[in-house]
Amino acid sequence: MNRRRFLKMSAATAMAMAAFSLDGLPPKGGLFRASRALAGTNYGPMNGSMGARETTSVCEMCFWRCPIVAKVRNGKLIKIEGNPKSPVNGQRVCARGNSGIQLLYDPDRIKYPMKRVGARGEGKWAKISWDEALEEIAHNMNKVKKKYGPHALAYFDHGASAENLREVFMAMGTENYTSEPAFFQCVGPAALAYLETVGYIATGTRQYNDMPHAKAMLLVGSHIGENVHVSHVREFIEGLSAGSKLVVVDPRFSVAAGKADIHLSIRPGTDTALLLAWINYVIQNDLYHKEFVANTCQGFSDLKKEVKGYSLEWAAEICDLKIADMKAAIKMLAQASPHVMIHPGRHSTWYGKGDVGRHQSYAILSALFGAVGVPGGLYFTTPVKVGHIECVEKKSKAVAPVDVSLKEDSNYPFSSTFGTVTADIIKAINTSKPYPIRLLGVNGVNIMQTIPDPYETMKAIKKLDFIFCEEMMAGETALWSDIILPDAVYLERYDGVYAYEGLTPYITVRQPVLPPMYEAKTPYWIAKNLARHLKIDGFPLPDARALVNHDLAAVDLSIDKLNKKGGIISLPANPYRTPKNLKIATDSGKINLSVAAFEDEDLDAIPKFQPAPAPPKGYARLIYGRCPVHTFSRTMNNLWLNHEVPENKLWLNDEIAGQLQIKNDETVVLENQDGKRSNPIKVLVTPGIRPDAVYMTHGFGSKSPHLSRAYGKGAADGYMMTNTVEDPFMGATSKRTNFVRIVKNKSILDIPEIIPIPAAIPKFKLRKLAADRDRQKAGAKPQYASAGDFSSKERRGGE
Amino acid sequence: MRQYAMIIDLNRCVGCHACALACRAEWDIPAQDGYRRNWVKNLGPAKTSHGLSFTAYPGLCNHCDKPACVPVCPADQIKKTFTEPKTGKTRTMTVAATWKNPFDGTVQIDKTRCLGCGACADACPYGARYVNTNIANKDLDGDGIADKCTFCKPRVEAGLRPACVQTCIADARIFGWRDEPKIADYIKKGAIRLSSAKVQTGPNVYYYGQPKDLELLTKTSTPQEMP
Repeated sequence: MNRRRFLKMSAATAMAMAAFSLDGLPPKGGLFRASRALAGTNYGPMNGSMGARETTSVCEMCFWRCPIVAKVRNGKLIKIEGNPKSPVNGQRVCARGNSGIQLLYDPDRIKYPMKRVGARGEGKWAKISWDEALEEIAHNMNKVKKKYGPHALAYFDHGASAENLREVFMAMGTENYTSEPAFFQCVGPAALAYLETVGYIATGTRQYNDMPHAKAMLLVGSHIGENVHVSHVREFIEGLSAGSKLVVVDPRFSVAAGKADIHLSIRPGTDTALLLAWINYVIQNDLYHKEFVANTCQGFSDLKKEVKGYSLEWAAEICDLKIADMKAAIKMLAQASPHVMIHPGRHSTWYGKGDVGRHQSYAILSALFGAVGVPGGLYFTTPVKVGHIECVEKKSKAVAPVDVSLKEDSNYPFSSTFGTVTADIIKAINTSKPYPIRLLGVNGVNIMQTIPDPYETMKAIKKLDFIFCEEMMAGETALWSDIILPDAVYLERYDGVYAYEGLTPYITVRQPVLPPMYEAKTPYWIAKNLARHLKIDGFPLPDARALVNHDLAAVDLSIDKLNKKGGIISLPANPYRTPKNLKIATDSGKINLSVAAFEDEDLDAIPKFQPAPAPPKGYARLIYGRCPVHTFSRTMNNLWLNHEVPENKLWLNDEIAGQLQIKNDETVVLENQDGKRSNPIKVLVTPGIRPDAVYMTHGFGSKSPHLSRAYGKGAADGYMMTNTVEDPFMGATSKRTNFVRIVKNKSILDIPEIIPIPAAIPKFKLRKLAADRDRQKAGAKPQYASAGDFSSKERRGGE
Repeated sequence: MRQYAMIIDLNRCVGCHACALACRAEWDIPAQDGYRRNWVKNLGPAKTSHGLSFTAYPGLCNHCDKPACVPVCPADQIKKTFTEPKTGKTRTMTVAATWKNPFDGTVQIDKTRCLGCGACADACPYGARYVNTNIANKDLDGDGIADKCTFCKPRVEAGLRPACVQTCIADARIFGWRDEPKIADYIKKGAIRLSSAKVQTGPNVYYYGQPKDLELLTKTSTPQEMP
């Protein structure tokens, strides 16, 4: 509490404070001198957040959306806690949840609608009115639609803010509205694999993994604990503390690896080899659940035949693991059958080729162990009914006819179920094929840090007739926008109804804790008013509160009724099935160990191991993950979170560091296989990463000077991703197919190859190796990407 | 005397920093360097004699049995009467501007009489105190006001848990009387304190975990000298 704030406190609060001594006790003859204390000094809040006005709501510091209570005193948000009535998090919130206050009060928030006045990417804007901003967007949407057709409009979206505006894009007739990067850049391959194998999306936005009741768990690359979704971490810890065994497969020694019984430090890109060898081992050694497989699965004999060649001996060489460790791990998992959690992972866009197959392999292992619909395994969702209003009538949102559809006629047979492939939209902008895309709306996603390759994205944006974004903070995407609309933060608005269908189902709502600051508007207001400017019929309700009440009314609830119950109601769960009532929702009615739908599209019905190319000589593979204190690139400017973890570090194997004479905390720059260089980043020298890979947490290294705290702090992994491979099933973009070497004091250091690469794994072929070497020899300047990639003079190091 | 204590179970802790942020929010601690009552230092991954460890040092005031910070306070000595909330029993002691409460063992600061000289902060081998120089007792010609973890005494007196305990996403923090089973059982089964040959202040924050994690924790975080 600062002095100003103290003086602003009401008399009533001051009185309440005076009633307690410093020990928090009523002053029974103590020496607390209230009059003096109140007169001139300021010691911090004597009673913390106790007694503040409470509003229940839903967090959106990440997209797990924990139920919360926000506490307000004298018109100021002072504390966020978990909703005590919440069956998932109770009174707990994570580091980010606690710091939502500093999103609300971030001085760098976008305060009013703004119009670009400099070049795209330059970040120069002028303040305009809401009417001007919306009229300009509407004018450009109409103009582009008239000139190039409705599909020339595309919308990239993520999160609750984005939903209302999506309906406006749909009403324009475009097919390019569900191109959610969250899907094509993250969970897509996993979601498809589970949908086709077990008949539902066991992992996606939500993850239906019964860790609390597992007797053994397998994590492949998942780093729960560093990747924080509160109830998911709780379920993981609950399972472990109840005695579950844990096997972690990860080239890095993660927090989860630190809690594991067995950690397998696998060669990156070979996970499916290990999984297929395990599947083979389970079948050959009769470790599978015969009754479950016979009654509930189809394709077993094909699977058995297909995986026969994958021996542990073979996998040991491919994966760089010891046979004994691999054997001990699979036995540990098999012993727990059927209460074994083969964790389905979440972020699955690793290598492009093989990503669906890897997740299929997890699902197959779950099925072989009978770990579906039983405690400790994958569980079924409990449908929770709530209403859903269409803000624009369905018939007005029909997709306009098109000769060659970007969405339906993509190269990826399973993409259109989920939307238009992100990478295809960027390509279409750059090539005008199959049709031109000339206008982009971006909502709640920083496409520069999220979509590789960012240099292609910048090129594409330069070609657009118009781009606008709805944002809270001016990250890289805002820099490139023609119009920026200031979005209300989650603490200032109503959103939809949140129904959780997991182990502890509930219904809750987000509601505003305080009115929007500055000229920020709620997503509903923005969409409704843009629709008005576009003369689109719709948005019949006056505001988002009415919308929430409408959706609650379908289940005989209202915001007021819900608030009387503590903002949330819990419902009974139905996660498990007996063998008799187990129904699998695939086409075959069985768990597909072999997926006919894939075969119909000339894709592998049963996964095959396809090696991801190994690092070329002198390079290590760049891998990345999560920091528990930050969400994507969204929170790096938050006062408290920035103070807690201001920058990321480059994990470098201790042996490699020794050979290169790099010390802990030394600052280096990375150069990728295409000559792109990173921001400076400090090194963490550790034995906890393999010598053939380096690791950093995602989301740092902001290139937007409008984020005064985050700007230039740490390095951005996304800007090192210029080599992508599209997943052949649904077009997701690979992220672990890039390689880096280290630049220290302007000289390039080759990373020595300590671990030999087997002949079966091809090395990545450098595109311009010769030219690159020449440049190095001649001492020529490294290649800096393009506008938006700031010069070394502007670069602020990670100091 | 009964003593409040805290267990931090590193087998449950994931090093997520929620505790540090809940504390900052609850007590409105400015986000300035060194200004914190509660901190998390992520440790490793590093080699130990029991294999690799990747753990955390969640730190806070240890509310020591023999606090080094209390006797060094140069503020005027006054008589202060302490009351045990449950029994109403009182005890009067002569104290400076910081003391160890005779009924609950917590170490507290009288913010109205602190001179901000920093002697207490300098004396603490754990670096648990800082001096907030944004504020001062001007009538005392103070330079700032010392601050540290109070074990969330006002909250505890009101029947709540400390903010860090309440928010801990993995239930890794356990707060209570040192002789209560939920605490004492952990001590019995091997929870450790960050003490060394020369640092014997009797800290009341205990850490429990795998041998490798405790080894890394003590190696990196146990003070070896008194300041």
